[in-house]
Parts: sequence; structure tokens; C-alpha cells
Amino acid sequence: MKTLFIGKQFSDDPAGRYYTDGDGNGEEFREEVLKPILAAGKPFKINIDENVEGYGSSFLVEAFGGLVKHGYFDKEYIKSKIEVVYQDTDFKFYADKIYKYLDEAKYNSMEYITSKKTAVDEKRYNDSIDKSFIKEFL
Amino acid sequence: MKKITEKQRQCDVRRVINERKRHSCSNKMSNVSEREQRCNASVWQDVNEWISKEISCGLKVTNDMRGKKLKYNGIVIHLPKTMNFSNNQDETVQCLTAIRKLVSVFEVYKSRKIPHKAYKLRSVNFDSLASISTSAALVLTAEVSKWNISIKKKLKPQVEKWHEDIYIQFEQLGFFDLFDNKPEKSVISQKSSPDVDFVRYVRGQCGNSDEAKDKKKELKAEISKLVGAKVDKWTILHSGLTEAVTNVTHHAYPGSKSCEEKSWYLTGSFNKSTNEMKIAFYDQGVGIPNSLPASEIWEKVLSYFTKLNIPSAEHKKHARLLEAAVSIDRTSTMQTDRGKGLQDLLEFIRERKAGYLSILSYHGLYKCWIDKGKEQSKTISMVRPLNGTLIVWNVKLS
Repeated sequence: MKTLFIGKQFSDDPAGRYYTDGDGNGEEFREEVLKPILAAGKPFKINIDENVEGYGSSFLVEAFGGLVKHGYFDKEYIKSKIEVVYQDTDFKFYADKIYKYLDEAKYNSMEYITSKKTAVDEKRYNDSIDKSFIKEFL
Repeated sequence: MKKITEKQRQCDVRRVINERKRHSCSNKMSNVSEREQRCNASVWQDVNEWISKEISCGLKVTNDMRGKKLKYNGIVIHLPKTMNFSNNQDETVQCLTAIRKLVSVFEVYKSRKIPHKAYKLRSVNFDSLASISTSAALVLTAEVSKWNISIKKKLKPQVEKWHEDIYIQFEQLGFFDLFDNKPEKSVISQKSSPDVDFVRYVRGQCGNSDEAKDKKKELKAEISKLVGAKVDKWTILHSGLTEAVTNVTHHAYPGSKSCEEKSWYLTGSFNKSTNEMKIAFYDQGVGIPNSLPASEIWEKVLSYFTKLNIPSAEHKKHARLLEAAVSIDRTSTMQTDRGKGLQDLLEFIRERKAGYLSILSYHGLYKCWIDKGKEQSKTISMVRPLNGTLIVWNVKLS
């Protein structure tokens, strides 16, 4: 099973909810990383602690809860495809939060409206993260 | 009477129309300018009135006439002996508010001439200051930074009569980095060593995630250096700081378009005698209670008040609003807006099972502490508002 390293492959400080919060936000991670990989259907691991300082709940709720909230996948499907892994026991805190946000999200309860265009127009988002790594998960 | 030609008539009509347009335009411009002047006048008059009132309430102010005539109305604010938000809150907030109000006059007039009668902040005198808390030092630094920017970085600190501990702490804090004109001589004696060591403060701006990332790392490195070890559960504190930064971007400065104006300040300290680490985060925005009515969770705030039978007269009280913001965050999860991430701020002390978190925002103070594993909290209404939001974590390191 392949492992996606958030800290090494996406951002060492994943933060913010929307594209308007800057690069490495939750919306970006969901739309451009998690959604296409989950759509491909292969199970994978997500490493949450290597090269990462920590996560704000805005990032986690938007990235993981948003998958269910916007009706992309139901929580059972997501849980069957991802395994959240970590070495540092302090990061159990975040793993628990990810599963909590997936459980509490209401399926298809909100229409998705992207904030990317506004973020780009206002120069708050620079699209600086190379996401070509997702190809190996597809 | 001579009958004019059609050509002449059309020429006259055009001339009159143009004259009317010019007249109307100049009237409009003069109205705007007058309105602006009236508005600016009301700012300095309000500030003058406030300062005069506060002088009678103990604010220490003297006239400053260096190179100026008395009518120039330059004033010096003298800081009190002790500044903190625990046992000298009133005097501390009074001084900080005085600086903010006087700086607002510079901001309104920008490069234009300020009326003679208006009080003008000429200096803030630190000579009496003998003790200052980490959070008060951070807020004071933020206010002085705002003042320095408003007068195009012309400030020059006069440190000759400062208490040595204060000088050392402000040097540790990086206070003197604010100024293009640095103090001319060092006053440090080798014997002096305050109990509380500060770490260099950092200032961040919204919309710059790379900068925020670097600043948080900087703080971690500085604190680790000071403490001499890794701080247990730092990742959880990092998460709280991340949410605090996100909050500033989303809620603290709603009317301001410029990212430069949306600043936040962060510092930390370590008390060698008590082994206590303190982290302080401050923004000069509208505050949590003031931002609630325009937020997506306002309906929930009202429901919260109804559920607890809180009378409507209490709904505008900042302490109540702050309490509601924290409580709603605890119960909201996947709604349109999770709230303000305030629960993330609490997680650090919860995970460590000790310490306290306090949030001061305008008239509201929320404090949560964990003692012997038991979590308790309280909210208090402050008579004097702190102009912004200050978040303080305090934990004892083993």
C-alpha cells in the first residue's frame, strides 16, 4: 500500500481552511490531493507526522470532513480506503480528529463553491505546491 | 432687443451647462473636504476629551515642548511602575489605550497638518517602569510599532533612565528592532538578570502563509533555546497558534482591505524561578465579541443565549459573547462555520493537563485553567476595553 506523506509531499505546515488562507490549505488538499486519489479507488496510507509541526482544525475539518460534506464520498468509503499513520504519539490527537470530522460530517449537506479564483485574484494563493506526486496513487 | 442667432443660442446653452457642471463639481468637492475636516476634527476633539478625562483618573501625562511652542500641545505619556493584565489591569490598559487613541490622530491626518489644539503624542516615558508581564510587553510593542509606522519610523528610544531589567527584557523582546534610530548606548550592567526572559517577538501579516510558518518555527526555536529542552505537546500549541493566525485573517480586520494592516504579534517567555512558560499572541483587530454579530455563527450565539435564559440586556456584553463563542465552538462541528477555532486554543493545556489559557478581547476576559486535572473556567467583564485580542497560554514545565 502506498503512503502519502503530508509533511514531505504537500506542506510541512498545513494551515488554513480555504485557498484564500494561502498555500497548503485544507480546501487545496481535499480538491487537488485527496479527492482524485480517493476517486481512483486504491487504498493508501496517510502519514501525518513526518516533517509536520501540527494541524489547525480548520485544515483538518475542511480537508477530511469536506469530502463528505460536499458529497464526494460517504464516510464508510473513505474509511475503507485510507489509513492514518504516525510514529509520534502526540499525533494521535490529530488522527482522532480526522476520524471525528469524517464521522460528524453530514453527507452532501453543502454545495461546493471554490475560493481558488478569489484567492488567485487577490494574490493570496500562489499554487506553489507541486502535486504531481498524486500520479503514483492513481 | 436684438434677436440672437440659433448658433449663438446653442453656444450659450453649452456655456451655461458647462458652468453649472463646474459649479456642481466644485460644490461636491468642497462638501467632501468639509465633511472630512469635520470628521477629522471630531477624532482629535474626542481624543483630547478622553485624555483630559483620564488625567483626572490617574493617567500620567506631561507637556513636551522640545523645540516647539507650548501651543503645539505635544504630550508625554508616563508608563506606570508595573504593567500587567492581572493585578494592574486598569492602569496598564489605560496607558495602552491612551497611546492607541493619540496614534489614531496621526493616522487620520497622515501627512497633513494636525490642528494646534490637538494633543500630539511626542513621547512615551519608560523611566518609572520596573516590571512588565510578557503579554503587556507584547501589546505595548504592538502599539509603539503602530505609532512608529504612523509617523514614518521617526521614533528614537531614550533609554538612559530605564530600569536595567526592563531594558534587558525589551532588548530580548526585539523591541529596538522597531526603530531605524537605535538607542545610542547600552545601559546593561553584567549583574542584572531578570527572572523572566523574553523571546524575540515576531510580527506577521495575514495572507502570507509562508511567513506565518517561518515565524512559528522561529518562536519554537527561541523558546527551546530558552527552556533548554523540547516542550512537551508543542505540536498542540502549534495547532492553537495556527488557528489564531487563521482567525486574524478571517475575522479580526473585517473593514480593512490591506493585508499590511492585518497584523498579529507573537512572543514567549520563561520564568527561571517558577519554571513557567508563557506564550502570548495579540492582534489589534475588532475583537471576538465585536466580530460575532457579522459571523455565520451569530444565529447560534442567539440560540445559546435563549437556551440559557440569558436576558437580552446581557447579549451585548463582551464577556457573555466571548463565553458564547468558546461554548459554541465546543458543540459545533460540521456546520457552515465551525466557529472561531477557540477550542484549538484550549487543547494545549488540556493535553498537558495543567496550566491556563486566557483570552482578553475588548471588554471580555475568558480564562480557563486546569488544576489537579480539573478544568475550570470563568468570564469577567472588564471596565476598560483592550483594543484587540490577546491570547495567553501559561504552563509550568517540569
